[in-house]
Amino acid sequence: MLFEDSDFDVNMSIFIPDVNFSRDNRTYNPMEGFLRGNMFADEYEPYKNLTYFKLVPRDEQEKMLYQIMALSFAINDFNLYLDLHPDNKEILELFKKYVTEKEILCKEYIRKYGPLEVSEVSGNKFNWINSPWPWDNLGGSLYV
Amino acid sequence: MFKYIKHTNYPVNIKKKDLKMAKYLITQFGGPNGELAAAMRYFSQKFNMPDDYGKALLNDIATEELGHCEMIASMVCELTKNATVKEMEEAGLSSMFTEHGKGVYPTDANGVPFTVSYFAVTGDALADIMEDMAAEQKARAVYENLITLTDDEDVKRILLFLRQREIVHYNRFKELFLYYKKKGY
Repeated sequence: MLFEDSDFDVNMSIFIPDVNFSRDNRTYNPMEGFLRGNMFADEYEPYKNLTYFKLVPRDEQEKMLYQIMALSFAINDFNLYLDLHPDNKEILELFKKYVTEKEILCKEYIRKYGPLEVSEVSGNKFNWINSPWPWDNLGGSLYV
Repeated sequence: MFKYIKHTNYPVNIKKKDLKMAKYLITQFGGPNGELAAAMRYFSQKFNMPDDYGKALLNDIATEELGHCEMIASMVCELTKNATVKEMEEAGLSSMFTEHGKGVYPTDANGVPFTVSYFAVTGDALADIMEDMAAEQKARAVYENLITLTDDEDVKRILLFLRQREIVHYNRFKELFLYYKKKGY
C-alpha cells in the first residue's frame, strides 16, 4: 500500500453521524465566506499575505446583488459539505436559513430590476433577454 | 437538467485592459488544469460513482466548475475589450487573432486548443477521485502563478477567490477518497 489513511490529516470521525460533532462556530457568515471563497474557518487558507479584497457596491442594485451572490455562495459551499455529511443538523439548518433569506431577497430584486432565472420573467415583453449579461460587464459600468 | 442564473459565481469587474494577462489567463478556461477540464472530468466521472456521496459531490462540483468557466471567459472578455489589432500583435496575440478574431476560445496560454485527453475516466472510483484531488492542487498552483503575474486588484481578487475554491474542492474530494478507501471500493 502506497500510504495509510493516517498520512492524511482528515479526522475520520466526521463520517460518524453527528455525535459530539459541531462546527457551527467555525463557519463564516455568507458575506465573510463569499469574500474569502470559503465558508469554513478551519479550512480557509489565504495565499501568502493576501487574504481578500472587500467588495464596494456602486449603488443599491449592486449592493442587493452582492448580497444575493453571497447567499448563493454560502448555499453552494454548504451543499458540497452536506453531500458528504447529510446528517449534520447544524449545517443543514444554516443551509435552510440561507435558502429562505435568498428567496426573500431575490423576490425583491426581481421585482425591482428584472429576472435572474428565465422562469422569473414579468411584463409584456420577454425581459429575460435584456442586457447586461454577466459577461458583458466593462469597467464596472454595468451590473453583475 | 441545468438551470442558468444570470450572475457570475463571484463579481467580475475588470476596468483595465491587459492583453498579456488575457493570454495567460485563458489557460484556466481551456488549458490542462483549467475549469473546462475540471467540469468535464467530474461530469463524466459522476456516472460511475458507487454511492450517493460520490454521485452528489461530483455532480455538484462539476456544476460549480461550469460557473467558473464563465468567470474566466468573462475575465478574458473584459481584459481584451476595445483592443486594437496592433495592441493584440504587441501582446503576442496575433496567432490567436488569426484563428479566433476577438472571440474567446478555450486554449492554454500557448494557444493549444482544449482536449479531453486532459482528463481520465477509469471506471475505478478511487483512481478517479485521486485524479480529482491532483487536478484541484494543479489548478491551485496555476492560480498562484497567475496571481504573481498581475498587479491589478480587480484581477487578483477573482484569482484569490477561484484559488480558494480549489482548496475547498480538494478537501471535499479528500474526504470522499478516505471514505471510499475505508469502504473498500
